[in-house]
Amino acid sequence: MSAMLALCQKEWRISLDTPQGYVVSIAFLLASGFFFGSSLFLNGQADMRHWFAVLPLLYIFFIPAMSMRLLADELHDGTYELLATMPTRTIDIVLGKYLSLMGHITFLLVLTWLYPFTLLLLGHLDMGIVLSSYLAAWLLAALFSAMCLYASALTQHAMIAYIVGLVLLLVVFLMTQASPTLPIAVQDWIAMLGPINHYQHMLRGVVSLADVMLFVCATFIFLALSWFALERRRWR
Amino acid sequence: MIKVKNLCRKYDALFAVKDLNFTVKRGEVMGLLGPNGAGKSTTMKMLTCFLPPSSGDASIGGLSLADSMKVRRLVGYLPEHAPSYHDLDVEAYLQFTGKMHGIPQGTRQDKIKEMASACGLDAVMFRRIDELSKGYRQRVGLAASMLHDPECLILDEPTTGLDPNQIVEIRHLIRRLGEQKTVLLSSHILPEVEAVCDRMMIMDKGELQALGTSAELSKQAQGGVLVSASIQGEIDRFSTQLQSTLPDVEVLQQKAVEDGVTHIEIQHPDPECQLAQAVFYAAVASGAVLLEMRNERASLEDVFHKLTQGGQLS
Repeated sequence: MSAMLALCQKEWRISLDTPQGYVVSIAFLLASGFFFGSSLFLNGQADMRHWFAVLPLLYIFFIPAMSMRLLADELHDGTYELLATMPTRTIDIVLGKYLSLMGHITFLLVLTWLYPFTLLLLGHLDMGIVLSSYLAAWLLAALFSAMCLYASALTQHAMIAYIVGLVLLLVVFLMTQASPTLPIAVQDWIAMLGPINHYQHMLRGVVSLADVMLFVCATFIFLALSWFALERRRWR
Repeated sequence: MIKVKNLCRKYDALFAVKDLNFTVKRGEVMGLLGPNGAGKSTTMKMLTCFLPPSSGDASIGGLSLADSMKVRRLVGYLPEHAPSYHDLDVEAYLQFTGKMHGIPQGTRQDKIKEMASACGLDAVMFRRIDELSKGYRQRVGLAASMLHDPECLILDEPTTGLDPNQIVEIRHLIRRLGEQKTVLLSSHILPEVEAVCDRMMIMDKGELQALGTSAELSKQAQGGVLVSASIQGEIDRFSTQLQSTLPDVEVLQQKAVEDGVTHIEIQHPDPECQLAQAVFYAAVASGAVLLEMRNERASLEDVFHKLTQGGQLS
């Protein structure tokens, strides 16, 4: 437990203390601000639907960038050997890394609270929808982070981890976009299991257990896969 | 302290380490020698619980490797190339290592100070690790590996890439540590192992080829005793005299150096035959004068060469 927190703290320090961390953060905030501002001035409405609709796209480009070095660099630099020979379980390593990544993303999402507060000053904002949408955005980020962490556990090269993460997230995203053109049976499956479909449900302001559980379960699956990918290296 | 029993590790069908057996006593500095790809690093990775053995077992401080979490607390490990987090400064890195090992906050700072000064890091405590020279990084790695006060240190090529001064410093440091801790270090620099280690083992192709002190190894490699001498007088009479006391003696080389002086190299297969004494008495009996005599020893290089080129010790 203490090892997990120590690892999380170290990652947190590197992601905020070094250019690679804050360049990603600033770029994310600039892009998100652009999408918020442009839809606000185009529609002239006090809601954030458009921003939340675009958010998954931002995730697709930024979450792999935030996560790519987490495990790939450790494997590449040989520091993983140090970590794995300390009195730490592999699962603590995975969770420590994951917590730091989630901390980073949560921090960025908290900074975007500026948008709803601005809208509150300008008009009537339905806070229920905004809150459920933020929960959805956070859960989606949790799932995407776990997927990208898994991508980072697969390779020693941060760039490959980025590409693999990007492709994984794109597949999830395009699956929902392309579903109308697919056979009905497949469409049903996608409606049932597509994270973006469940995200869109939650944007309507309804928090159902099914939606939340889908995100939680899928996140666990990818964390377990990351753990497995690291353990497997020892046996090769 | 370290007991290794029939340890094996396979990569696919290939044995990286095969049936390894050895023990390292408490407080001993053991050197692990071998050419590249001999299985030194794999052995160390198994002993530090990074790689699980394919078969066989080892114990450290009485604990089997299967008891991995407890073993890790006993062992300090410096992997090859001394990896560390280049984005952190030395202090933060040592703090992180201390936390990972669960050193309580109260004693952590003192421990870091102690190790930093033992490894000569005081001047660079707040420098980022990527700004440091290779020698300092090696020392940072060494300090980090000793932070939790392990009983046993496993160092994989601790002096590669260092300049001669740094090598001497790191050697002194290891020697000093060796007084309190059990140290297993690998290297392919032979004089270094000779200077630092109490005993050494030579590995090749995953198998143990020889184990012992450097004197024992040279004796084994030679397969007998070798004496070189300079003799003034009648060399033929001396030779017959010597052959009559030690019939198995073999003259390897005989060369007239100057007027009446002959340089001669004599070998005998039995290391206990007291060849030097026999040479002396033979010279006396044949009326020759012994100007110079030396017991030759195979150098560690010879031993290494012989063992890792397919030859076996006799």
